[in-house]
Amino acid sequence: MSVIQEGIDALMPIMPQFILIIAALIVPAIGLKSGKASSIFTMAAAALAIAVTAYMMYDGYTDSFMDIFEFNDFTGLMTVLFLIVLILVSLISYSGSETRKHHGEYFALLIVATVGMIFVAGASNLIALFIGIELASISSYALVAFKKNDPASAEASVKYLIIGGLSTALSLYGISLLYGLTGSVAISDVAQYLAEGSFTWTYIVAVITVIAGFGFKIAMVPFHFWAPDVYEGAPTPVTTFLAIGSKKMGFIVFFKIFLMMFILAQVLGGIPEMQWLFAFLAAATMTLGNLIAISQTSIKRMLAYSSIAQAGYILIVLAVGSSYALEGGLFHMITHVFMKGGAFIVVAALCARGLSENISDYRGLAKRAPLVAFAMMLFLFSLAGIPPLAGFDSKFVLFSSAVTPDGTWIWLVAVAVINSAISLYYYARVVKAMYVDKGASTEKMRVPMPFAIAIAICAIATVAIGIYPGPIIELCESAVKAFLLM
Amino acid sequence: MNSFILPLLLLIPLIGAILSVAMSRKQEYAKYVAIICSAVTLAITLFCLYDLSNADYVYAQSSAWIDTESIKISFAVGVDGMSMLMILLTSLLVLLVSVFSSSEKDRPSTFFALIMAMEVGLLGVYMAQDYFLFYIFWEVTLIPMYFLISGWGGPRRHYAAIKFFIYTHVASLVMLIGIFALAMQASAGGALDFSFEAVKAASMAGLFSPAFQLVVFGMLFFGFAVKMPLVPFHTWLPDAHVEAPTAGSVLLAGVMLKMGSYGIIRVCLDVLPDGAHQWQTAMIVLAIIAILYGAYACIAQKDLKKMVAFSSISHMGMVLLGIAMLSGIGIQFAIFQMFAHGLITAVLFMVCGIVGHNAGTREIPLLGGLAGKMPVFAAFMMFGFLASLGLPGLVGFVAEFGIIMSFFEYLADIEVLWPIVFALASLMLTAGYYLWAMQRTLFGKETDKIDLTNVHDVSKLEGISLGVLCALIALFGILPALAMGLIENMPLVLWGVV
Repeated sequence: MSVIQEGIDALMPIMPQFILIIAALIVPAIGLKSGKASSIFTMAAAALAIAVTAYMMYDGYTDSFMDIFEFNDFTGLMTVLFLIVLILVSLISYSGSETRKHHGEYFALLIVATVGMIFVAGASNLIALFIGIELASISSYALVAFKKNDPASAEASVKYLIIGGLSTALSLYGISLLYGLTGSVAISDVAQYLAEGSFTWTYIVAVITVIAGFGFKIAMVPFHFWAPDVYEGAPTPVTTFLAIGSKKMGFIVFFKIFLMMFILAQVLGGIPEMQWLFAFLAAATMTLGNLIAISQTSIKRMLAYSSIAQAGYILIVLAVGSSYALEGGLFHMITHVFMKGGAFIVVAALCARGLSENISDYRGLAKRAPLVAFAMMLFLFSLAGIPPLAGFDSKFVLFSSAVTPDGTWIWLVAVAVINSAISLYYYARVVKAMYVDKGASTEKMRVPMPFAIAIAICAIATVAIGIYPGPIIELCESAVKAFLLM
Repeated sequence: MNSFILPLLLLIPLIGAILSVAMSRKQEYAKYVAIICSAVTLAITLFCLYDLSNADYVYAQSSAWIDTESIKISFAVGVDGMSMLMILLTSLLVLLVSVFSSSEKDRPSTFFALIMAMEVGLLGVYMAQDYFLFYIFWEVTLIPMYFLISGWGGPRRHYAAIKFFIYTHVASLVMLIGIFALAMQASAGGALDFSFEAVKAASMAGLFSPAFQLVVFGMLFFGFAVKMPLVPFHTWLPDAHVEAPTAGSVLLAGVMLKMGSYGIIRVCLDVLPDGAHQWQTAMIVLAIIAILYGAYACIAQKDLKKMVAFSSISHMGMVLLGIAMLSGIGIQFAIFQMFAHGLITAVLFMVCGIVGHNAGTREIPLLGGLAGKMPVFAAFMMFGFLASLGLPGLVGFVAEFGIIMSFFEYLADIEVLWPIVFALASLMLTAGYYLWAMQRTLFGKETDKIDLTNVHDVSKLEGISLGVLCALIALFGILPALAMGLIENMPLVLWGVV
């Protein structure tokens, strides 16, 4: 009895992952029979994991698992976020059209990738961090290639694999240098060392390779070029997973290594050079993403570039390097899941009904599928930051964090704000196509039920968070507090 | 009662919008929803006015909305004389526009829902007492207007709608940075507090240095100036107006433009008095440029509606001139001018709508001799034009008289008198283009360039809307004290600037 109790106590910090791993082992067996059952099973496992996590957070539980993983409010919030992503993606994979006959493998890979992401969120040393990233990445390579017979999917997968391998190599090289410099793999030690900022060549090479390596993961300019091709080629549910799941993981890595370092460095006097570097990267990422998005004719590519731009906004957190900025960044990551996820799910739902990915095909959609068009409008306007939708609130917090008393980052806010306006142009174009233009067909369309549910979840979240963001901001606040103690 | 009367004012049009959308199967009833809801809104507004006139208090209501350790936002609404006047104008014009457009056949349920949604945004802007809330309502007005223009507008409506949207959205974003700066400076390291109250307290406590005021005033002013609009940020306005449906134009010129000047008074002057003094000369120059350029451009216009649009630029320049005096009189008459212009411009745009619809064109050179065919219409048009050019006895005269008087006082004060010439020149130009346009369209020989055989006069509902507006123009022209009394009651503004 006591042995079991001890075992449970030891496993408690990773209980959500534990549940998911068990589910990942069971789901291939279910998948042999039916894709729908495995989808439901995955969602049930994720829901159970959410319930456990929520209970742990409610209970104020914090503990670490063998000094490599720490459960606290930050990890808890990110775990719930990744699990919501998992549920949304499983929901839209319900019909099984993307998964062919390999339902079991598909859902198992999704679950394993999610487990990797959760490990990244709670990792307290670099090795655990790296293993988490690889777990998520390797599963994603396979997921991108899931439409085996489709050359575009295969191409996307090869691109993703090669770029991913390169980025892994770079970041691993950087991590090994960091270990060499500090003699420790604990993230807090590394951040402490970096914060002291003795600029040796090894230091600079280590930092740059780490930035480049993880920069690929979040599609930061100039490491962004793979994203549109991969997003376009991958099955749309997988694209959704990459855009709203994997990217968040990349940000967490950046926050863990660099934000800690900046916050520590501010006590020691600050290293403005690095913050300026991130400010320029942020400005370049959002500007390039938005400018290229304007000329896209495929909605998936447009959303891919807009994802790059959104990554630019979140990079503001690293430039500003304050706990309030991190709060804004986390808040934007949360709202991004619903608005960008919602937009991709709408695209997936329409694809499932035979609509192509060309924006011109969206003409007259408001007549054919009024509710879906309305939801899409909500998502796009939310992405553009129009109140009173969730995207406005999170941009509001994020951008306001960059208005600091010394006024250093006012220019960055100005760039971000101009970018918001540019983005409105291409989002409004889609809305115009749906609502104002006359379409070739006026035939009514009904999207499949699982998609409708997923769209409804995202739309309700986008509006509800927009109107009453208080609780979410509070969650972000307590997450940031826990993050700073890690 | 007092605590929920303002939220109620927002709620009723919101319900109207939702009901109207829900009418998609019984489209023909949507107009009744709109008319009833806007009539109820107007009735509540009138009740508030009556209630406020009995006491010198203001309605104010505030409840925490987002209240965390790092950010504080409250659902704070409140009204004083200036807000009340703008709220009256909004609820009045929305009702009249709904009556005027009740014959709309094209997707009426969506059309009226958009108008109701517009009303929510407009009323919200005029009663918000928190910058976050203010900004939300400010932006919320954009979306219905965008759809009104792009869904029910003229041939170049897509271009005009997107230009309108992006142009004013960029300006609001600049304003948003200014708001961030205000809140950041006011909360001095603590939780960011976006309420008007907190920012004003900081301003009183002298937390805003002159250099800070100079910069932040500039950002906020830019946001408001594009909305007004001031030359050279006005180019979105003629396009938007020419393409917008009549209801859209009336609300755009009648109430939306006022958001800009309202913001300057409510925000810029109130919390950044030093900034206002530093920007005073620039504001006067911009105002005079807008007045003259607007009037001058009017002369050249062939499209009647475009002419009215440019005349709005000129008249809003007049508002800025009054504000820029930074004196009690100047600002009060500026507010009065906002109200007066709202009433008059509604008549003008309705008249343009009727010409375009009944005669099939708004091109001045193609029209002529309409007075014979459409006598009632001609009377309304003449009345509107005369009111707009400042005929004594009508509301426009009082406002412009007051503004020019305070401008004169200001000039006498600094002992430079010659700029008064600009103000006088503008009056002459205005009289010139209106009379000339009237002469060419209403009088003279009946035109043979368009077919006038089937042209009919104003319909009954159009006549009611126009009649009410004209009666109010005359009423407030003869008894300006009705509105001026309200304007003097402005306890929500501290007048640190005067």
